[in-house]
Amino acid sequence: MSFREKAAWITLVSVLLCFGVYFGTVFSGGLHGDGRANGWLFVACVGAFVVLQIGLTLAAMWTTPKDGRSPRDEREQLIKARSHTLGYYVLVVLVLGLGIPLHLGHVAAHELMLYAFLDVVITGLVVATAQIVMFRRGF
Amino acid sequence: MSVPISNRIRRLRFDNDEMTQAELAEKIGMTRQTVAAIEAGKYSPSLEAAFRIAEVFGVPLEKVFQWRG
Repeated sequence: MSFREKAAWITLVSVLLCFGVYFGTVFSGGLHGDGRANGWLFVACVGAFVVLQIGLTLAAMWTTPKDGRSPRDEREQLIKARSHTLGYYVLVVLVLGLGIPLHLGHVAAHELMLYAFLDVVITGLVVATAQIVMFRRGF
Repeated sequence: MSVPISNRIRRLRFDNDEMTQAELAEKIGMTRQTVAAIEAGKYSPSLEAAFRIAEVFGVPLEKVFQWRG
């Protein structure tokens, strides 16, 4: 497995772990609408995400040192470009979808921010998944 | 997804002291996985990469890649 594919897996796993915990807790009502607890959980999850990403990426660089230092080759650049193009369209659709809760009824600003952040997280998952699929298929 | 271009990279590697995919990848500045994808017909390289591969084996481009149509 190349370093770039490992990096895509690392992103997928870290996003699922960290933000899965965050959104799982928030949407299940685990914080009982406590804004301060929500804020701290958010900070903790973002912090855990950064630590996981850096730690696992360094581990991946250690196991594939040559790949980790070299620039992306043409296939890797194409995979990155294609996955980000897909991610762009997904993000556009999701952002347009933010209008749905607004039309359904009163939505507080912090709830809208939560949905917007969820859109970003989903887009990140789509990009990482698309990269993994293309790396596995060959292109 | 297969591309309409076949190649003889595996044969050429074998004929060149059984060069490994990793060795070929290093010579043309790509990853071993990309060479494997090209060899398996899953990825069409750029013209520049194709010329680099042909140069490594010391043969013309058409001896490495063939258009299947």
